[in-house]
Amino acid sequence: MAAALELSCWGGGWGLPSVHSESLVVMAYAKFSGAPLKVSVIDNTWRGSRGDVPILTTDDNIVSQPAKILNFLRKQKYNADYELSAKQGADTLAYIALLEEKLLPAVLHTFWVESDNYFTVTKPWFASRIPFPLSLILPGRMSRGALNRILLTRGGPPLYHIQEVEAQIYRDAKECLNLLSNRLGTSHFFFGDTPSTLDAYVFGFLAPLYKVRFPKVQLQVHLKQLSNLCRFCDDILNSYFRLSLGAFSGVNRNQWQIDFGEVLP
Amino acid sequence: MSLVAEAFVSQIAATEPWPENATLYQQLKGEQILLSDNAASLAVQAFLQMCNLPIKVVCRANAEHMSPSGKVPFIHVGNQVVSELGPIVQFVKAKGHCLSDGLDEVQKAEMKAYMELVNNMLLTAELYLQWCDEATVGEITHARYGSPYPWPLNHILAYQKQWEIKRKMRAIGWGNKTLDQVLEDVDQCCQALSQRLGTQPYFFNKQPTELDALVFGHLYTILTTQLTNDELSEKVKNYSNLLAFCRRIEQHYFEERGKGRLS
Repeated sequence: MAAALELSCWGGGWGLPSVHSESLVVMAYAKFSGAPLKVSVIDNTWRGSRGDVPILTTDDNIVSQPAKILNFLRKQKYNADYELSAKQGADTLAYIALLEEKLLPAVLHTFWVESDNYFTVTKPWFASRIPFPLSLILPGRMSRGALNRILLTRGGPPLYHIQEVEAQIYRDAKECLNLLSNRLGTSHFFFGDTPSTLDAYVFGFLAPLYKVRFPKVQLQVHLKQLSNLCRFCDDILNSYFRLSLGAFSGVNRNQWQIDFGEVLP
Repeated sequence: MSLVAEAFVSQIAATEPWPENATLYQQLKGEQILLSDNAASLAVQAFLQMCNLPIKVVCRANAEHMSPSGKVPFIHVGNQVVSELGPIVQFVKAKGHCLSDGLDEVQKAEMKAYMELVNNMLLTAELYLQWCDEATVGEITHARYGSPYPWPLNHILAYQKQWEIKRKMRAIGWGNKTLDQVLEDVDQCCQALSQRLGTQPYFFNKQPTELDALVFGHLYTILTTQLTNDELSEKVKNYSNLLAFCRRIEQHYFEERGKGRLS
């Protein structure tokens, strides 16, 4: 049963184990459920495909996409949800749908579409981890994919200009953050005192938004006003990721310095 | 709509009471309307019935193109036109009728989350089945979608719509899903709804809300629409409390009000 589980994902920065939401969701879930994952961070020597990251490889399986990876881990008996009631399991699915519909477009926009953010932070970061010549092509493709997704899912009439779509998605995202904050209240995690799948998803979406330093920060400013969500992210980082962050900065010291060098004005 | 336009519409909406001649527009029921549009229209009708607001249903072949957002159904109230369940709920709220007033903040968050679940999984699965499953597309969708138009317009419009929907599916990651995976997602969604409903009459106990209207619209349409195979409705039939829920709403809000059985 102790098959070696290896996760390939985007690396970290700004205090996070990964700046990519989907990779972070899988890493958080693995920590919560106790799955022994060996994390291999993509750097510019990695030869595999980057489109499907995060990817979980075992001896005979390759699984991509966070939902499928989490299902696979559950089947291997690494289940973070066994204490949840049926209703809480149903709530988990509903809140994940809420995150994907209301929060994800604005997060994608902040990282990949907003030009100041994209050209000063996102593109250099990803390009430094992709070998030349792909580093010239892939970030642009990811950016276009994000814009495409936003416009196709939210851009129909009566919103005819990109600014109207942007205004609408940021409004929806702020409402979603408020709803999450109301739901979390003063508890440690969304369902009691132990973290579950929903906590992994919320952490995965919120933590990059919270920690990465961007020039244009309207959503981040809104998030920082919701102190219980910030406390939630910090708690998880401190409890579950502190030891491995030490390992990260030891191995990737050069990368770390490059990251901080770029961030400080 | 921009923030200013929304505030403007709410102001205007608030001043006039609900008129007697409010109408709801959808496509032709017998030959043209598709599964997902029928579900949306039924959800709005159920919502308005729950608010006790009279509405007349009018079927027009070009309803989709008349709508301000390109989606059906839309309602024509006084001199305003509002489409889709979300904006209609806001509009009705501005007029002073609200079904979710009695809910606290956490319940409102839950209600919004479940409505997104239905839109994210059930509606997308319906669209997938209608437009990306070759058997259904060939036998049912193309013929129905283009039925009011002469050749070759009927084919052109149907192919255009299919291309649009397939593009959207690829963008959200459903492009590579197989029909079995989609049906499994539907099953997961129905299981979540069934678990949330439990033994209560409505999702938030005694009073129906817009979530009940939305779920009823989708489930009833899935159960009563004839497709190339019955797999979709079989997934819903596995959950007896959902069947009882649909029957209860149908009886209470449609039959008893003298509207007769829903066709």
